[in-house]
Amino acid sequence: MSNFTNHHPDESMLLEFSAGTLETAISICVSAHLHYCSHCRAQLLRLDQVGSQIMTQSDPMTLADDSFERVMEKIDSADEPAVDNNTNGSDLPFSVNKLINTSLVSKNWKRLSSSVDIARFSTGQDNFEVALHKIRAGGKTPKHDHEGLEYTVVLKGSFSDENAVYREGDFLLRQPGDVHQPMGAQNGECICLSALSAPIKPTSPLGFLIKPWLRINPM
Amino acid sequence: MLTSKISTASNNQPTDNRVAILNSSEKRSDQWSQLLISVGENRDRKAFAQLFKHFGPLLKGFAHASRNEGWFPGLGDDLVQEVMIKVWNKAAGYNAEKASATTWIYTVARNCRIDMLRRKSNTQHLPLENEDFWHEPDEVTPISLLQQKRSEDKIQASLAQLPKEQNQILRKVYLEGKSHAEASAELNLPLGTVKSRVRLALQKMQIIVSKEAQE
Repeated sequence: MSNFTNHHPDESMLLEFSAGTLETAISICVSAHLHYCSHCRAQLLRLDQVGSQIMTQSDPMTLADDSFERVMEKIDSADEPAVDNNTNGSDLPFSVNKLINTSLVSKNWKRLSSSVDIARFSTGQDNFEVALHKIRAGGKTPKHDHEGLEYTVVLKGSFSDENAVYREGDFLLRQPGDVHQPMGAQNGECICLSALSAPIKPTSPLGFLIKPWLRINPM
Repeated sequence: MLTSKISTASNNQPTDNRVAILNSSEKRSDQWSQLLISVGENRDRKAFAQLFKHFGPLLKGFAHASRNEGWFPGLGDDLVQEVMIKVWNKAAGYNAEKASATTWIYTVARNCRIDMLRRKSNTQHLPLENEDFWHEPDEVTPISLLQQKRSEDKIQASLAQLPKEQNQILRKVYLEGKSHAEASAELNLPLGTVKSRVRLALQKMQIIVSKEAQE
């Protein structure tokens, strides 16, 4: 897939992804970004090469004498495997697609505000809430701050805030203290994947009014 | 072991010629990738036995290097078995233009190790396996095995030249499976220092490619 993304995970995130030490929720976001970004895929290949070289420099350990035979026995007693051709059958990243098919908390979108819907995933971990957000065309979200970290990847369409326009594949990290007001593009709805580590806090004077819907809020 | 002599063949390969170039460079570049292709195409048991002999002990070492929650004494033998069965089963889908056999097997091993440890330590239902994060679209630009072999040789050489404290952190992350935060706690270093050492190491090894240079 071609590379039009402008916002990427940083090197240390990619390295932790390559080493497999990144948290599940963040890994979902990084893998979604990789689906769109050939630059980061090339970077990841080089990091995987580092990992492979470190593995080959580890101290080899002697195997049991019959270990090869035992593996061949298992292979011979199993059916010939189907060819794994990696096809996804969707424009969405593989991991997101799998979550949609297996792990939606509810099959329907839930309304968060007049312009934002949410669909939550159950991902087997409690550190982050992982969800899809749908912003209506031209929809404004309330201005808000973040109490925790929030990772966002644009999956379809685009949205903007005071700083930039974010398009398919763009990867964003919001930190506590980042106040912003995202807005959906005029020409169509925008769907984002997000992982949020703590509830956000509204900053507008009437923020308390919307708080119930904003327990978990996009972007 | 392969000779690490680096050929000076041109990098600018016309893409229509890529299969021929891939084939012509295979012999000199990387016997493991050659063997893996043979397992995939011909279900070649002899080739698989050679891969097993080379990678089996490394995989067991890789399993034992893990310092993660969920570690158990039998992890090494279990990992060797699970990874090598996956190698046999997935070999037909192996694409030498995307990664060398060593890198490909490393990614299979890393995913298996994480998933095995998670199954041991986590009682919650996990809808995604680590493997699910590695389904990327096919690359438009293939990389010949010779190019990959060269960049791996370069990485190996530059790993050996890294200052001790940078090498130590990379080993903690990749071999022991520690996050930056865990490494910072264990080494009694601020998280920022761990990250900057990692960054310095990657810069020194020329792993970090600037976005401008690539486009």
